[in-house]
Amino acid sequence: MTPTLLGRWQTRLFLLSTVGAIVSTPFAFAIIGSGMTWGYYWVLLYVFLFGIAWDYLYNFLQQLMWDHDWPGLFQLASAIAEGLLLAGMIKFVGLPHIPQEFPLQWFALHYTLVWLASYLLSWVIMRLLFPHWRFRGGEWLGKW
Amino acid sequence: MRVQLSWEDPIAGEQQEIVCTVPIVLGRHPEKQLSDRQEQIFSQIKLSSQQVSRLHTIITYSGGQLLLEDRSANGTFVNGHKVLQSSCAISNGDTLQIGPYLIHLIVLSRSSSNIEVTNQPTIIDTSTVVERRNSSESSLFNEESFVLKPSYAERIQALSLPKAFSAHQVPLEELRAGVYLSNYEERDFVVVGGGIGSFTFVNTLRIAGVNLDRISVIGRGEPQPYGRYQLICRNSQIPDYERLRSGSDSCPDNIWGFPGYAIREAWRECFTKGRLDHSLKLLWMVFSEPALSDTYTPRSGDVFAAMEREAKRIGWYEIWRSGHVRAIRKTTDDRYVVAYLDPNSRTESPTYKYLVARYVYLSTGYTNVRFLDDLQEYRHRTGDTTAIVNAYENHEHVYDKLMKRGGIVILRGEGIVASRILQRLYEARKYHSQIKVIHLVRSEKTESNRFHLARRYRENGWEFQPFNWPKGTWGGDMRSRLETAGPAERAQLLRDWGGTTTANRRDWQRIVREGIQQLWYERVVGIVKQVDRDEIGRLEVCLQRRLAGSEEILKADFIIDATGLTAKPIEDPLLGDLVKFYNLPLNPLNGLHVTNSFELEKMRNGKGRMFAAGIMTLGGPYAPVDTFLGLQYVAQRAVAKLVQTRAKGVHSILGLRSFSQWLKWATNQRP
Repeated sequence: MTPTLLGRWQTRLFLLSTVGAIVSTPFAFAIIGSGMTWGYYWVLLYVFLFGIAWDYLYNFLQQLMWDHDWPGLFQLASAIAEGLLLAGMIKFVGLPHIPQEFPLQWFALHYTLVWLASYLLSWVIMRLLFPHWRFRGGEWLGKW
Repeated sequence: MRVQLSWEDPIAGEQQEIVCTVPIVLGRHPEKQLSDRQEQIFSQIKLSSQQVSRLHTIITYSGGQLLLEDRSANGTFVNGHKVLQSSCAISNGDTLQIGPYLIHLIVLSRSSSNIEVTNQPTIIDTSTVVERRNSSESSLFNEESFVLKPSYAERIQALSLPKAFSAHQVPLEELRAGVYLSNYEERDFVVVGGGIGSFTFVNTLRIAGVNLDRISVIGRGEPQPYGRYQLICRNSQIPDYERLRSGSDSCPDNIWGFPGYAIREAWRECFTKGRLDHSLKLLWMVFSEPALSDTYTPRSGDVFAAMEREAKRIGWYEIWRSGHVRAIRKTTDDRYVVAYLDPNSRTESPTYKYLVARYVYLSTGYTNVRFLDDLQEYRHRTGDTTAIVNAYENHEHVYDKLMKRGGIVILRGEGIVASRILQRLYEARKYHSQIKVIHLVRSEKTESNRFHLARRYRENGWEFQPFNWPKGTWGGDMRSRLETAGPAERAQLLRDWGGTTTANRRDWQRIVREGIQQLWYERVVGIVKQVDRDEIGRLEVCLQRRLAGSEEILKADFIIDATGLTAKPIEDPLLGDLVKFYNLPLNPLNGLHVTNSFELEKMRNGKGRMFAAGIMTLGGPYAPVDTFLGLQYVAQRAVAKLVQTRAKGVHSILGLRSFSQWLKWATNQRP
């Protein structure tokens, strides 16, 4: 699937609010991780908000390639960059609703699992629920 | 001073030749940069590409010399040398590259200046006119045998249509009065063409909820939807174990693209063959393509097997019938009537059968195979069909002989088939080292295609791309950009993105490099003047390396023409009739003009709707119209349109309906 800017935003929104929310639940309710906190859900929100800007950048970089494609490897690289920036922001700048003492190892695990689940399931649920998704550059909202 | 400029259209592939008087301006919109006075003097050639500046190049004549002045952003290449914002002298036989256009210049007359004044300047606009210099450069397929002979379709053209068909809307009562009951049927959907385009539509339609008894498919030859494609693949050296140039999730057997062929192959490798390493390698490929590994491509045999399973699942063989469609007309009751002949009918005098339907889907595919003039001429003149072959014919004898005795092969064409044939010749060299390949091309571009900041990869004259269009044209930003563009801009975009490319397979690039180093592969640029046989029966090719240059003779044992397939709706008997009878508009590349939902708007008949899919729509809202994924796209758009117009029993494939239909696919149950 070669995404468009709008498609990136829409897919990000869908996957974070479904797959992301499900993966975050055991963390938020202290089944895994550092204790009960809404912080994990706030992480998802920040991934989405920062993502709006990141996607702008990705969309520009995509134009530099002849095929206007965004291969899996690039998706991994961009996820790492986003994760590092977010961790840095939490640790050194501070983000509302996420305590600065938020344990980074649990953040890393949570973030990794969310990305992995979203990446793998984007191949499955997006396609099976929205057959037009892959032809519209990731835009699942709206019909033809 | 008059000159002749000739070029091959970068996307339509047609040879264009124009004669005009100097001074000449070439550009995307040269008229916008000229004063009224200048407009009366200059011949204008409008080249439609975004790589071309509005006013790109000026050709003038002064002091007994032709001068070229570049005024562009990207420069003009004169015989491969870049001229940017400066001037240079040019002469007879020079080649100019302007964006994707490669233009040959021939000086026709050096007459005195007073003739120049009397000559009218010419205005040529490539965004609206694609001149057909020579339409004989292709041969019609014979659908039954896939050899280049006049087909059944040509013969049936002689059979006249019933009188009722001369009306723009056929009165059905009148038609039925003169027809046997058994020769007249009604359906809701009639699909014309029995290939992969029709198959993806029927597949989507069935999944959208339409029952079998409402659909009929009229095909030619074998009932298998992949039959003709498979035969063309085999002839052009892609047997079932070789891989197609197609992506993992371009699955004509599965509208969702999940699981893709890579996952299915990885699964089989792991669980039925126990080869975990192969399996992981395939998964790594889809993850890291195209940066760290070659793009994953499926084995043709696996694709055909998957389509066979799906064809049985959706009941394709129950609704398929053999027939040559002769004509389609609107009816007086908001429907369409399709007249066809059954080639298997044993009756003495063939009679038409009729199918009447509310909705018609046209997907007849490629009609012609390109066969270069000089090669056809040789075959007609000598009757020898073994030394010069078309890549799409069965030509195993060429490899058999080469493996036994060696020899020189001239290869024409620069696409995927040429690559595959080169690979086959490379393999044949293991049996006989005295096999030499001369890769003969008409002209050589200096730069590969460019689009804004991106440029296509090129090596040793070949241009590489994973698939036949840039990937973003299937569903990315390039798709939406093309859809929202106007007709002229579409033609520009298609020329910038299109052109002949081959798959970016590392093994193929290595073969070319090796061939150049070991001197068994040579790329030769030139124009073939004549092909003959010498006294010992070898081919003699008279070649002109530069347009005005001297001629030389190349000796060869075989010539393989791999210049491709072509389809021009207007040349097709059925589509040509439709275009002429209903005066259907064509797009700037001579394809059928369709809406963004691939509807033929002018064929609308009350509630009746007609759609067109595949190569006949090239030049319209979508670039990769002749690909697996592209055909699925068109099917999806057409079905979405049917849902929108509330066609009876057609449901939107979305959400839970989509998911439950996928479960049926996965468990191999009827939709």
